[in-house]
Amino acid sequence: MSRDSTDLANRRTLLKLTGGAGVAALSGCLSTTDDGGDGSDGSDGSDGSDGSDGSDGSDSSDGSDGSDGGDSGPYEIGMVNSLTGSLSAFGQRNKRGVDLALQQVNEVGIGGRELNIAVEDSESENQGGIAAAQKLVNQDGVPFLIGAVGSGVSLAIYESVVQDTDVVQLSQNSTGLNLTNFPGLLRMSPSGRSQSLALSNIIAEDGYDSVAVTYVNNDYGQSLTDAFVNAWDGDIAYNNPHDQDQASYSGVISEMNSSGADAWLFITYQAEFSTMVNEVFSSGYEAQFYGADSVQGANVIENTPEGSMDGMKIVVPSAPVEEENYQSFRDTFESEYGQEPTSWAAYAYDCVINAALAIQAADEFTGAALQDTVRRVSGPEGETVTSFEAASEILADGGGPDDVDYQGVSGPIDFNDAGDPVGFLQVLEVQDHAYEGIDFVEG
Amino acid sequence: MTVLGYLANGLVFSSIIVLGSIGLSLVYSIADFANFAHGDTMTIGAYTSLVTFGAIGGLGGAVLGLPYGFFVALVAGIAVAALVAVGTEKLIYEPLDIDSIGLLITSIGIAFIYRAVIQIRFGSESTDFDIQALRPIDALLPYGIRVTLHDVAIVVSAVILVVGLHVLLQYTDLGRKMRAMADNPDLARVSGIRTKRIKLWTWVIGAGLAGAGGVFLGLFNQLAPRMGFNLLLVIFAAVILGGIGSVYGAMAGGFLIGMINQLTPFFSNVVEALPIWPGWLARVAEGLVSIEYANAIAFVIMVLVLLVRPNGIAGEGAT
Repeated sequence: MSRDSTDLANRRTLLKLTGGAGVAALSGCLSTTDDGGDGSDGSDGSDGSDGSDGSDGSDSSDGSDGSDGGDSGPYEIGMVNSLTGSLSAFGQRNKRGVDLALQQVNEVGIGGRELNIAVEDSESENQGGIAAAQKLVNQDGVPFLIGAVGSGVSLAIYESVVQDTDVVQLSQNSTGLNLTNFPGLLRMSPSGRSQSLALSNIIAEDGYDSVAVTYVNNDYGQSLTDAFVNAWDGDIAYNNPHDQDQASYSGVISEMNSSGADAWLFITYQAEFSTMVNEVFSSGYEAQFYGADSVQGANVIENTPEGSMDGMKIVVPSAPVEEENYQSFRDTFESEYGQEPTSWAAYAYDCVINAALAIQAADEFTGAALQDTVRRVSGPEGETVTSFEAASEILADGGGPDDVDYQGVSGPIDFNDAGDPVGFLQVLEVQDHAYEGIDFVEG
Repeated sequence: MTVLGYLANGLVFSSIIVLGSIGLSLVYSIADFANFAHGDTMTIGAYTSLVTFGAIGGLGGAVLGLPYGFFVALVAGIAVAALVAVGTEKLIYEPLDIDSIGLLITSIGIAFIYRAVIQIRFGSESTDFDIQALRPIDALLPYGIRVTLHDVAIVVSAVILVVGLHVLLQYTDLGRKMRAMADNPDLARVSGIRTKRIKLWTWVIGAGLAGAGGVFLGLFNQLAPRMGFNLLLVIFAAVILGGIGSVYGAMAGGFLIGMINQLTPFFSNVVEALPIWPGWLARVAEGLVSIEYANAIAFVIMVLVLLVRPNGIAGEGAT
């Protein structure tokens, strides 16, 4: 009996030790992913994960060796994307743009090393975004964070994770106005203020003097609507928010209808807008629709009845479609994915290129160094280049960050002091239940 | 829009809530835990019928603006929702030897699994049934009622299902056993009722109704992986308002919550018209009784009812 129990105790001790060694080995692996590490040590680290034999916990220290080495492994940056939730359509577009950019960056390489992007899902919600960013910044230790899609999410990430650190945050798709108040938070898509101004001009030009506005109840909706209200000279017959993800908005649309305004402006997301259009259709209301960029999308067309929103006008941030570099981006994108790129994919593409150039121009792969270069590689000084390859050559020939002016496929970029880029806007009209571009507006 | 119009909208929305809340209450009364996967069971029903409808098509004729195929798809949605719920009960809830709080938390996990599976297969974007959307019924427009034939179909189908459940509970052997078990499971077992079998039937009925609710929600609005979960909070409110565990309470609660939700614009008109004094109070009231707070208003009314009747409308254990 006593022998048995000793055996048991020994076995337990062994189990504990192996377990401990395993955990140590695994934590070694975690730190290797940080800075990439050099190839051979990095792979030792992953060997450590089968350290369950417990023989050498020392593998784990091999693993962590990787973190202070690092000349040939990939540079790892982070990205918070909306893979699920109400902005998942944007997430898909972003992914295509990012994949394409990553492919082109890695063909050339950044000083002989590759770029790797760790992507986390924000679920299109603030909480999910913060958790994703915390994982990337605190656990993976990325110095450069691309994220997020929704303006509220971007801001939440900035305020609770990025602020007070050296990490560079570059939002790929946020257009909310109040991001302008946070100069440390960069973005690739132009501020929605230009959209609101354009919408108010278009509605006035179309001869309406009264408008009913409904907006999604978050930073994005609120700030765009505030800017619209400031810009609009006419009467605002209805101005109320609605919550995301509701099963029915018939109350909202019936109130809009009873407001008496003939022009209805929707500043909301695609799923919410599709629901509203369906309910407008099935309630038999008639009005001229206007919308901000986020109500436009292929799934809106698919999920709404034919003819239910013909004549609707939407203002979307647009890529400079007449520029040569955009056209080559479009051709590559089309051959890769069999569809035309949206401007959202172009923003995500430029985020990656801009990040890669910032990394190449920086002396070291740290947040502080990247903070310095991220604005300068695409800023107005330096030689104008339109591709990563060309920009990379200048930097490789000893050029500094001010010797390069990367012109993105989404526009000239040129971040201002508030971290906002210069942008273009396109006016779309729904004709025969499809979007047609009818005009361009300067951002 | 007239009061009648708002009431009609409320009736349609209530029908969906009622279908969801009955199942939740039924499972609570017999399996004895609050099933957070109930909303996603609705989603399963909706997506099953989407697939079925896509596969079989319209099958020729149509009734109330809906092709025959849709009703076949509805039955498929009900069946698969019930099947998935029974499978989950057999595989997960039953073998787990934990108390009702443990089951509750497990069910949250189950909800995530259901949703993830749907998301893997269908993506997270919303989609809809390939059924021609309808304009409102012309004959009702003079009364300010703007409902389509589809809305009528939703209400009629919900009424048929609810009446069917009532008949089942009151006049069949199974119904009597279910009521006995809800009242006192131990006594029911001692009297020779096979409680495990009854429990399975409860899952079938509860999840089947949820599946139907999901299909109608998809028809009413559109399908998205989060559709059921987004509605779950409202359904819980309905069940608690009605008296949790009571089927008739859940019907009443679902009806009230759905109505209040859709009547909010009318309430705000009323508040604006009322001569409230002093002026600042009127402004506060107008600000609060507004469409953006439709759910909050429903919840406030729920709390008020619970203050008067702590056990909900139907009170204690009256299945």
